[in-house]
Amino acid sequence: MTRADKVLLVGILLASLVSGTALYSRFFLDPVGAQPIQAVVTVSGKAFRTIALQSGARSSFVVQGRQGASKVEVDGRRVRMQQAPCENGICLKQGWIEHPGQSVVCVPGEIVIRIEGAAPLDAVTR
Amino acid sequence: MSKRATVIACLLVLLLIAGLALLRQSGANREYSSDQFLMDTLVSIKVYGNDRETLKTAVAVAYAEMHRIAELADGFAQPGTAAYQSSDVCRINALAGKKPVQVDGDTLAMLVLAKKYYQLSEGAFDVTVGPLMDLWGFGGKNPHLPAPDQIKAALKSVGCQDLVLNEQDRTVLLRKEGMKLDLGAVAKGYATEKALQALKKRGIEKALIDAGGNIRVLGQNVHNSAWRIGVKDPRKSNEIVAVLALEDTSAVTSADYYRGFEAGGKRYHHILDPRTGYPAAHNMTVTAVTQDAGQADILSTVFFVLAPEKALQLAEKLAGVELLLVTADGLIRHSTSLRGRLEVQPGAAYRYDQSR
Repeated sequence: MTRADKVLLVGILLASLVSGTALYSRFFLDPVGAQPIQAVVTVSGKAFRTIALQSGARSSFVVQGRQGASKVEVDGRRVRMQQAPCENGICLKQGWIEHPGQSVVCVPGEIVIRIEGAAPLDAVTR
Repeated sequence: MSKRATVIACLLVLLLIAGLALLRQSGANREYSSDQFLMDTLVSIKVYGNDRETLKTAVAVAYAEMHRIAELADGFAQPGTAAYQSSDVCRINALAGKKPVQVDGDTLAMLVLAKKYYQLSEGAFDVTVGPLMDLWGFGGKNPHLPAPDQIKAALKSVGCQDLVLNEQDRTVLLRKEGMKLDLGAVAKGYATEKALQALKKRGIEKALIDAGGNIRVLGQNVHNSAWRIGVKDPRKSNEIVAVLALEDTSAVTSADYYRGFEAGGKRYHHILDPRTGYPAAHNMTVTAVTQDAGQADILSTVFFVLAPEKALQLAEKLAGVELLLVTADGLIRHSTSLRGRLEVQPGAAYRYDQSR
Protein backbone atom coordinates (compact mmCIF):
# COMPACT_ATOMS: atom_id res chain seq x y z
CA MET A 1 0.00 0.00 0.00
CA THR A 2 1.35 3.43 -0.82
CA ARG A 3 0.99 6.37 1.58
CA ALA A 4 -1.79 7.83 -0.57
CA ASP A 5 -3.70 4.50 -0.38
CA LYS A 6 -3.51 4.62 3.41
CA VAL A 7 -4.75 8.22 3.56
CA LEU A 8 -7.61 7.32 1.25
CA LEU A 9 -8.53 4.28 3.33
CA VAL A 10 -8.52 6.23 6.59
CA GLY A 11 -10.64 8.94 4.95
CA ILE A 12 -13.18 6.41 3.72
CA LEU A 13 -13.19 4.70 7.11
CA LEU A 14 -13.99 7.94 8.93
CA ALA A 15 -16.72 8.97 6.48
CA SER A 16 -18.24 5.50 6.69
CA LEU A 17 -18.30 5.69 10.44
CA VAL A 18 -20.43 8.84 10.21
CA SER A 19 -22.85 7.45 7.66
CA GLY A 20 -22.91 4.08 9.42
CA THR A 21 -24.00 5.82 12.61
CA ALA A 22 -26.73 7.64 10.67
CA LEU A 23 -27.98 4.34 9.22
CA TYR A 24 -27.86 2.64 12.61
CA SER A 25 -29.76 5.40 14.36
CA ARG A 26 -32.35 5.48 11.57
CA PHE A 27 -33.07 1.77 11.46
CA PHE A 28 -32.14 0.40 14.85
CA LEU A 29 -32.87 3.15 17.31
CA ASP A 30 -36.50 3.92 16.68
CA PRO A 31 -36.85 7.34 18.32
CA VAL A 32 -40.65 7.18 18.40
CA GLY A 33 -41.02 3.60 19.61
CA ALA A 34 -38.38 4.05 22.27
CA GLN A 35 -40.15 6.92 23.98
CA PRO A 36 -43.15 6.49 26.25
CA ILE A 37 -46.38 7.97 24.93
CA GLN A 38 -46.75 11.60 25.91
CA ALA A 39 -49.66 13.99 26.05
CA VAL A 40 -48.86 17.65 25.46
CA VAL A 41 -51.11 20.39 26.77
CA THR A 42 -50.91 23.80 25.07
CA VAL A 43 -52.66 27.09 25.79
CA SER A 44 -52.98 29.60 22.91
CA GLY A 45 -50.42 27.57 20.94
CA LYS A 46 -47.78 27.62 23.71
CA ALA A 47 -46.64 24.48 25.54
CA PHE A 48 -48.08 24.27 29.05
CA ARG A 49 -47.27 20.76 30.24
CA THR A 50 -46.07 17.39 28.93
CA ILE A 51 -47.35 14.26 30.66
CA ALA A 52 -45.92 10.75 30.27
CA LEU A 53 -48.86 8.35 29.89
CA GLN A 54 -48.04 5.22 31.91
CA SER A 55 -50.42 2.56 33.08
CA GLY A 56 -51.34 2.83 36.71
CA ALA A 57 -50.51 6.51 37.10
CA ARG A 58 -53.40 8.84 37.98
CA SER A 59 -53.33 12.57 38.30
CA SER A 60 -55.18 15.74 37.49
CA PHE A 61 -54.19 19.36 37.16
CA VAL A 62 -55.62 22.78 36.42
CA VAL A 63 -54.95 24.68 33.19
CA GLN A 64 -55.69 28.40 32.96
CA GLY A 65 -57.28 28.94 29.57
CA ARG A 66 -58.72 32.13 28.12
CA GLN A 67 -62.09 31.46 29.75
CA GLY A 68 -60.71 30.51 33.16
CA ALA A 69 -59.62 27.31 34.86
CA SER A 70 -60.10 23.93 33.20
CA LYS A 71 -59.13 20.60 34.73
CA VAL A 72 -57.26 17.84 32.90
CA GLU A 73 -57.48 14.26 34.21
CA VAL A 74 -54.88 11.58 33.51
CA ASP A 75 -55.78 7.93 34.08
CA GLY A 76 -52.94 5.63 33.08
CA ARG A 77 -52.54 5.74 29.33
CA ARG A 78 -55.55 7.96 28.72
CA VAL A 79 -56.32 11.61 29.30
CA ARG A 80 -59.39 13.84 29.12
CA MET A 81 -60.76 17.26 29.93
CA GLN A 82 -62.59 16.78 33.22
CA GLN A 83 -63.93 20.27 33.92
CA ALA A 84 -64.29 23.38 31.80
CA PRO A 85 -65.75 26.82 32.49
CA CYS A 86 -67.30 27.35 29.05
CA GLU A 87 -71.01 26.94 28.34
CA ASN A 88 -71.00 24.45 25.49
CA GLY A 89 -68.55 21.95 27.03
CA ILE A 90 -67.53 20.51 23.66
CA CYS A 91 -64.13 19.56 25.08
CA LEU A 92 -65.83 17.51 27.83
CA LYS A 93 -67.89 15.62 25.27
CA GLN A 94 -64.75 14.65 23.38
CA GLY A 95 -64.06 12.21 26.24
CA TRP A 96 -60.92 10.16 26.82
CA ILE A 97 -58.13 10.01 24.28
CA GLU A 98 -55.26 7.52 24.30
CA HIS A 99 -53.82 7.03 20.80
CA PRO A 100 -51.08 9.11 19.16
CA GLY A 101 -52.58 11.77 16.93
CA GLN A 102 -55.80 12.13 18.96
CA SER A 103 -56.58 15.45 20.59
CA VAL A 104 -59.08 17.29 22.76
CA VAL A 105 -59.63 20.88 21.70
CA CYS A 106 -61.29 23.66 23.68
CA VAL A 107 -61.76 26.58 21.27
CA PRO A 108 -63.03 29.25 23.72
CA GLY A 109 -60.29 28.43 26.24
CA GLU A 110 -57.70 27.94 23.47
CA ILE A 111 -56.55 24.71 25.14
CA VAL A 112 -55.33 21.65 23.26
CA ILE A 113 -54.46 18.23 24.71
CA ARG A 114 -52.69 16.18 22.05
CA ILE A 115 -51.16 12.72 22.20
CA GLU A 116 -47.76 12.74 20.55
CA GLY A 117 -46.06 9.94 18.69
CA ALA A 118 -46.28 8.05 15.42
CA ALA A 119 -49.96 8.20 14.54
CA PRO A 120 -51.66 5.83 12.11
CA LEU A 121 -53.41 8.82 10.53
CA ASP A 122 -51.98 12.16 9.42
CA ALA A 123 -55.23 13.99 10.28
CA VAL A 124 -58.98 13.54 10.62
CA THR A 125 -61.55 15.48 8.63
CA ARG A 126 -64.64 16.35 10.65
CA MET B 1 -3.73 -1.80 -2.56
CA SER B 2 -4.22 -5.44 -1.63
CA LYS B 3 -7.32 -7.19 -2.97
CA ARG B 4 -8.84 -7.42 0.47
CA ALA B 5 -8.29 -3.72 1.15
CA THR B 6 -9.98 -2.88 -2.15
CA VAL B 7 -13.03 -4.97 -1.28
CA ILE B 8 -13.28 -3.36 2.14
CA ALA B 9 -12.88 0.09 0.63
CA CYS B 10 -15.65 -0.64 -1.91
CA LEU B 11 -18.01 -1.85 0.81
CA LEU B 12 -17.31 1.19 2.92
CA VAL B 13 -17.96 3.48 -0.06
CA LEU B 14 -21.35 1.79 -0.54
CA LEU B 15 -22.16 2.30 3.12
CA LEU B 16 -21.10 5.93 2.77
CA ILE B 17 -23.39 6.52 -0.18
CA ALA B 18 -26.34 4.90 1.61
CA GLY B 19 -25.68 6.94 4.74
CA LEU B 20 -25.37 10.22 2.89
CA ALA B 21 -28.56 9.54 0.94
CA LEU B 22 -30.35 8.97 4.20
CA LEU B 23 -28.93 12.09 5.82
CA ARG B 24 -30.09 14.08 2.81
CA GLN B 25 -33.55 12.59 3.06
CA SER B 26 -33.89 13.14 6.79
CA GLY B 27 -32.72 16.73 6.31
CA ALA B 28 -35.56 17.34 3.86
CA ASN B 29 -37.97 15.84 6.34
CA ARG B 30 -37.43 18.25 9.19
CA GLU B 31 -40.85 19.03 10.63
CA TYR B 32 -42.11 22.35 11.85
CA SER B 33 -45.63 22.63 13.23
CA SER B 34 -47.64 25.37 14.81
CA ASP B 35 -51.18 25.90 16.20
CA GLN B 36 -53.29 29.04 16.20
CA PHE B 37 -56.89 29.69 17.16
CA LEU B 38 -58.65 31.66 14.46
CA MET B 39 -62.00 31.73 12.67
CA ASP B 40 -63.55 30.13 15.77
CA THR B 41 -61.48 27.00 15.47
CA LEU B 42 -58.02 25.49 15.91
CA VAL B 43 -55.80 25.79 12.84
CA SER B 44 -52.73 23.52 12.78
CA ILE B 45 -50.09 23.89 10.10
CA LYS B 46 -47.36 21.28 9.67
CA VAL B 47 -44.60 21.71 7.09
CA TYR B 48 -41.49 19.78 6.12
CA GLY B 49 -38.20 20.93 4.60
CA ASN B 50 -34.49 21.48 5.17
CA ASP B 51 -34.22 24.75 6.94
CA ARG B 52 -36.10 25.52 10.13
CA GLU B 53 -36.06 29.29 9.60
CA THR B 54 -37.54 28.96 6.10
CA LEU B 55 -40.27 26.68 7.47
CA LYS B 56 -41.03 29.03 10.35
CA THR B 57 -41.29 32.10 8.10
CA ALA B 58 -43.48 30.26 5.58
CA VAL B 59 -45.89 29.20 8.34
CA ALA B 60 -46.03 32.75 9.74
CA VAL B 61 -46.89 34.11 6.29
CA ALA B 62 -49.56 31.41 5.86
CA TYR B 63 -51.22 32.34 9.18
CA ALA B 64 -51.08 36.02 8.23
CA GLU B 65 -53.00 35.20 5.04
CA MET B 66 -55.64 33.34 7.06
CA HIS B 67 -55.99 36.21 9.54
CA ARG B 68 -56.43 38.64 6.65
CA ILE B 69 -59.25 36.58 5.08
CA ALA B 70 -60.82 36.03 8.52
CA GLU B 71 -61.00 39.80 9.03
CA LEU B 72 -62.58 40.43 5.63
CA ALA B 73 -65.23 37.76 6.24
CA ASP B 74 -65.94 38.39 9.95
CA GLY B 75 -69.70 38.85 10.17
CA PHE B 76 -69.78 39.38 13.94
CA ALA B 77 -67.60 42.48 14.34
CA GLN B 78 -69.20 45.25 16.43
CA PRO B 79 -69.85 48.64 14.80
CA GLY B 80 -67.29 51.25 15.77
CA THR B 81 -64.45 48.77 16.18
CA ALA B 82 -61.37 48.34 13.98
CA ALA B 83 -62.55 44.80 13.20
CA TYR B 84 -65.81 46.24 11.84
CA GLN B 85 -63.95 48.68 9.59
CA SER B 86 -61.80 45.93 8.09
CA SER B 87 -64.72 43.52 7.60
CA ASP B 88 -66.08 43.67 4.05
CA VAL B 89 -68.96 41.44 5.09
CA CYS B 90 -70.06 43.83 7.87
CA ARG B 91 -69.93 46.81 5.53
CA ILE B 92 -71.87 45.00 2.79
CA ASN B 93 -74.52 43.92 5.32
CA ALA B 94 -74.80 47.42 6.78
CA LEU B 95 -75.47 48.91 3.34
CA ALA B 96 -77.91 46.22 2.17
CA GLY B 97 -80.63 47.81 0.04
CA LYS B 98 -78.73 51.09 0.00
CA LYS B 99 -75.57 51.18 -2.08
CA PRO B 100 -72.73 49.04 -3.49
CA VAL B 101 -69.63 48.58 -1.34
CA GLN B 102 -66.07 48.55 -2.64
CA VAL B 103 -64.39 45.35 -1.43
CA ASP B 104 -61.06 43.54 -1.36
CA GLY B 105 -60.27 41.28 -4.34
CA ASP B 106 -60.42 38.21 -2.08
CA THR B 107 -63.89 39.10 -0.78
CA LEU B 108 -65.08 39.43 -4.34
CA ALA B 109 -63.42 36.13 -5.29
CA MET B 110 -65.19 34.36 -2.39
CA LEU B 111 -68.55 35.79 -3.42
CA VAL B 112 -68.05 34.94 -7.10
CA LEU B 113 -67.28 31.35 -6.07
CA ALA B 114 -70.29 31.29 -3.73
CA LYS B 115 -72.65 32.55 -6.42
CA LYS B 116 -71.34 30.01 -8.91
CA TYR B 117 -72.26 27.18 -6.53
CA TYR B 118 -75.61 28.79 -5.74
CA GLN B 119 -76.45 28.46 -9.41
CA LEU B 120 -74.92 24.99 -9.78
CA SER B 121 -76.81 23.66 -6.75
CA GLU B 122 -80.07 25.38 -7.77
CA GLY B 123 -80.23 27.28 -4.51
CA ALA B 124 -79.18 24.51 -2.10
CA PHE B 125 -76.18 26.66 -1.23
CA ASP B 126 -76.68 30.35 -0.50
CA VAL B 127 -74.35 32.82 1.24
CA THR B 128 -77.28 35.21 1.82
CA VAL B 129 -78.58 32.77 4.47
CA GLY B 130 -77.66 35.32 7.20
CA PRO B 131 -81.21 36.32 8.23
CA LEU B 132 -82.12 32.65 8.79
CA MET B 133 -78.96 31.98 10.80
CA ASP B 134 -79.81 35.00 12.98
CA LEU B 135 -83.38 33.86 13.42
CA TRP B 136 -82.26 30.42 14.63
CA GLY B 137 -79.58 32.11 16.76
CA PHE B 138 -76.78 29.92 15.43
CA GLY B 139 -74.25 32.75 15.60
CA GLY B 140 -74.94 33.35 19.29
CA LYS B 141 -75.10 31.41 22.51
CA ASN B 142 -78.76 30.40 22.59
CA PRO B 143 -79.95 28.81 19.35
CA HIS B 144 -83.67 28.04 19.40
CA LEU B 145 -86.49 26.74 17.23
CA PRO B 146 -88.27 29.65 15.47
CA ALA B 147 -92.00 29.69 14.68
CA PRO B 148 -92.92 28.59 11.12
CA ASP B 149 -94.21 32.06 10.14
CA GLN B 150 -90.95 33.63 11.33
CA ILE B 151 -89.03 31.26 9.05
CA LYS B 152 -91.36 32.10 6.18
CA ALA B 153 -90.73 35.81 6.72
CA ALA B 154 -86.93 35.40 6.97
CA LEU B 155 -86.86 33.38 3.75
CA LYS B 156 -88.02 36.53 1.92
CA SER B 157 -84.65 38.13 2.76
CA VAL B 158 -82.65 35.16 1.47
CA GLY B 159 -81.61 34.69 -2.15
CA CYS B 160 -78.38 35.00 -4.10
CA GLN B 161 -80.27 36.39 -7.11
CA ASP B 162 -80.23 39.67 -5.16
CA LEU B 163 -76.49 39.56 -4.54
CA VAL B 164 -75.04 41.92 -7.16
CA LEU B 165 -71.34 41.48 -7.94
CA ASN B 166 -69.57 44.03 -10.10
CA GLU B 167 -66.18 42.55 -10.92
CA GLN B 168 -65.05 45.55 -12.94
CA ASP B 169 -65.66 48.12 -10.18
CA ARG B 170 -65.01 45.49 -7.47
CA THR B 171 -68.25 46.32 -5.70
CA VAL B 172 -70.89 44.23 -3.95
CA LEU B 173 -74.53 45.04 -3.27
CA LEU B 174 -77.27 43.20 -1.45
CA ARG B 175 -80.27 44.51 -3.34
CA LYS B 176 -82.85 44.36 -0.51
CA GLU B 177 -82.73 45.86 2.96
CA GLY B 178 -82.61 43.17 5.64
CA MET B 179 -80.46 40.84 3.54
CA LYS B 180 -77.31 39.53 5.19
CA LEU B 181 -74.23 37.64 4.04
CA ASP B 182 -72.89 34.69 6.03
CA LEU B 183 -69.54 33.39 4.75
CA GLY B 184 -69.41 30.60 7.35
CA ALA B 185 -69.37 27.93 4.63
CA VAL B 186 -66.81 29.68 2.44
CA ALA B 187 -64.20 31.72 4.31
CA LYS B 188 -62.39 28.98 6.25
CA GLY B 189 -61.78 26.90 3.12
CA TYR B 190 -60.83 29.92 1.06
CA ALA B 191 -58.40 31.08 3.77
CA THR B 192 -56.94 27.57 4.00
CA GLU B 193 -56.25 27.54 0.27
CA LYS B 194 -54.67 31.00 0.47
CA ALA B 195 -52.43 29.78 3.30
CA LEU B 196 -51.40 26.75 1.30
CA GLN B 197 -50.55 28.84 -1.75
CA ALA B 198 -48.45 31.09 0.51
CA LEU B 199 -46.51 28.04 1.74
CA LYS B 200 -45.98 26.89 -1.84
CA LYS B 201 -44.71 30.31 -2.86
CA ARG B 202 -42.10 30.04 -0.11
CA GLY B 203 -40.80 26.80 -1.59
CA ILE B 204 -42.59 24.37 0.73
CA GLU B 205 -43.31 21.03 -0.96
CA LYS B 206 -44.82 19.02 1.90
CA ALA B 207 -47.49 20.48 4.16
CA LEU B 208 -50.68 19.71 6.01
CA ILE B 209 -53.16 22.37 7.10
CA ASP B 210 -55.90 21.26 9.48
CA ALA B 211 -58.37 24.12 9.95
CA GLY B 212 -60.80 22.65 12.46
CA GLY B 213 -61.13 19.49 10.41
CA ASN B 214 -60.92 21.14 6.99
CA ILE B 215 -57.86 19.38 5.62
CA ARG B 216 -55.54 20.59 2.83
CA VAL B 217 -52.39 18.62 2.03
CA LEU B 218 -49.49 19.54 -0.23
CA GLY B 219 -47.32 16.85 -1.83
CA GLN B 220 -46.93 13.55 -0.01
CA ASN B 221 -46.46 12.83 3.68
CA VAL B 222 -43.14 12.44 5.51
CA HIS B 223 -42.89 8.79 4.45
CA ASN B 224 -43.24 9.82 0.79
CA SER B 225 -46.64 8.23 0.43
CA ALA B 226 -50.19 9.58 0.28
CA TRP B 227 -51.38 11.37 3.41
CA ARG B 228 -53.76 9.19 5.43
CA ILE B 229 -56.80 11.24 6.39
CA GLY B 230 -59.48 9.72 8.61
CA VAL B 231 -63.16 10.66 8.26
CA LYS B 232 -64.79 11.16 11.64
CA ASP B 233 -67.57 8.82 12.71
CA PRO B 234 -70.63 11.12 12.88
CA ARG B 235 -71.92 9.49 16.05
CA LYS B 236 -68.87 8.36 18.07
CA SER B 237 -66.14 10.68 19.24
CA ASN B 238 -62.56 9.60 18.50
CA GLU B 239 -63.67 7.02 15.91
CA ILE B 240 -63.55 7.06 12.14
CA VAL B 241 -65.69 5.56 9.37
CA ALA B 242 -63.13 5.71 6.56
CA VAL B 243 -59.56 6.56 5.63
CA LEU B 244 -58.73 8.60 2.53
CA ALA B 245 -55.31 8.44 0.83
CA LEU B 246 -54.69 11.97 -0.45
CA GLU B 247 -51.93 13.86 -2.27
CA ASP B 248 -51.99 17.58 -3.00
CA THR B 249 -55.70 17.94 -2.39
CA SER B 250 -58.22 18.88 0.26
CA ALA B 251 -60.96 17.11 2.18
CA VAL B 252 -63.67 19.14 3.88
CA THR B 253 -66.51 17.73 5.96
CA SER B 254 -69.94 19.13 6.78
CA ALA B 255 -71.84 17.21 9.42
CA ASP B 256 -74.87 17.36 11.69
CA TYR B 257 -72.97 16.93 14.96
CA TYR B 258 -71.82 20.53 15.43
CA ARG B 259 -73.54 23.56 16.91
CA GLY B 260 -76.89 21.98 17.55
CA PHE B 261 -79.59 22.02 20.17
CA GLU B 262 -82.57 19.92 21.21
CA ALA B 263 -86.18 21.06 21.28
CA GLY B 264 -89.24 18.88 21.79
CA GLY B 265 -87.12 15.71 21.70
CA LYS B 266 -85.65 16.59 18.31
CA ARG B 267 -82.12 17.70 17.50
CA TYR B 268 -81.50 20.69 15.26
CA HIS B 269 -78.10 21.57 13.79
CA HIS B 270 -76.72 24.67 12.08
CA ILE B 271 -76.53 23.71 8.40
CA LEU B 272 -79.76 25.18 7.08
CA ASP B 273 -81.34 24.40 3.74
CA PRO B 274 -81.75 27.93 2.35
CA ARG B 275 -84.77 26.78 0.33
CA THR B 276 -86.80 25.60 3.34
CA GLY B 277 -85.23 27.51 6.24
CA TYR B 278 -84.83 24.31 8.29
CA PRO B 279 -81.71 22.20 9.00
CA ALA B 280 -80.90 19.86 6.11
CA ALA B 281 -81.77 16.33 7.19
CA HIS B 282 -80.63 13.96 4.43
CA ASN B 283 -77.13 13.20 5.72
CA MET B 284 -75.20 12.72 8.96
CA THR B 285 -71.90 13.70 7.37
CA VAL B 286 -70.46 14.43 3.94
CA THR B 287 -66.83 14.87 2.90
CA ALA B 288 -65.97 16.71 -0.30
CA VAL B 289 -62.57 15.94 -1.82
CA THR B 290 -61.10 18.31 -4.40
CA GLN B 291 -57.81 20.12 -4.85
CA ASP B 292 -58.89 23.66 -3.92
CA ALA B 293 -59.83 23.93 -0.24
CA GLY B 294 -62.16 26.89 -0.90
CA GLN B 295 -64.13 24.91 -3.41
CA ALA B 296 -64.12 21.85 -1.13
CA ASP B 297 -65.55 23.92 1.74
CA ILE B 298 -68.47 25.16 -0.35
CA LEU B 299 -69.04 21.75 -1.93
CA SER B 300 -69.20 20.02 1.46
CA THR B 301 -72.16 22.26 2.35
CA VAL B 302 -73.76 21.85 -1.09
CA PHE B 303 -73.54 18.05 -0.84
CA PHE B 304 -74.74 18.04 2.76
CA VAL B 305 -77.89 19.98 1.91
CA LEU B 306 -78.74 17.94 -1.20
CA ALA B 307 -80.37 14.50 -1.04
CA PRO B 308 -77.65 11.77 -1.27
CA GLU B 309 -78.52 10.65 -4.80
CA LYS B 310 -78.52 14.22 -6.10
CA ALA B 311 -75.25 14.99 -4.31
CA LEU B 312 -73.56 11.93 -5.82
CA GLN B 313 -74.86 12.82 -9.29
CA LEU B 314 -73.50 16.34 -8.96
CA ALA B 315 -70.12 15.07 -7.72
CA GLU B 316 -69.84 12.72 -10.71
CA LYS B 317 -70.59 15.63 -13.01
CA LEU B 318 -67.89 17.95 -11.61
CA ALA B 319 -64.32 17.32 -12.79
CA GLY B 320 -61.83 16.56 -10.02
CA VAL B 321 -64.51 16.43 -7.33
CA GLU B 322 -65.16 13.42 -5.14
CA LEU B 323 -67.61 12.73 -2.37
CA LEU B 324 -68.05 10.40 0.58
CA LEU B 325 -71.24 10.55 2.64
CA VAL B 326 -73.15 8.83 5.42
CA THR B 327 -76.88 9.16 4.87
CA ALA B 328 -79.31 9.94 7.69
CA ASP B 329 -80.23 6.24 7.84
CA GLY B 330 -76.61 5.13 8.19
CA LEU B 331 -75.64 4.14 4.65
CA ILE B 332 -72.06 4.93 3.57
CA ARG B 333 -71.86 5.94 -0.09
CA HIS B 334 -69.19 7.53 -2.30
CA SER B 335 -68.49 8.72 -5.82
CA THR B 336 -66.99 6.14 -8.20
CA SER B 337 -63.62 7.79 -8.63
CA LEU B 338 -62.88 7.68 -4.90
CA ARG B 339 -62.55 3.91 -5.02
CA GLY B 340 -58.87 2.98 -4.75
CA ARG B 341 -58.10 5.96 -2.52
CA LEU B 342 -60.56 4.96 0.16
CA GLU B 343 -60.76 2.36 2.93
CA VAL B 344 -64.23 2.21 4.44
CA GLN B 345 -64.54 1.00 8.03
CA PRO B 346 -68.30 0.79 8.47
CA GLY B 347 -68.22 -1.05 11.82
CA ALA B 348 -71.51 -2.26 13.25
CA ALA B 349 -73.37 1.04 13.14
CA TYR B 350 -73.33 1.67 9.37
CA ARG B 351 -73.94 -0.19 6.13
CA TYR B 352 -71.63 0.25 3.14
CA ASP B 353 -73.13 0.68 -0.34
CA GLN B 354 -70.46 -0.52 -2.77
CA SER B 355 -72.62 -0.27 -5.87
CA ARG B 356 -70.65 2.63 -7.30
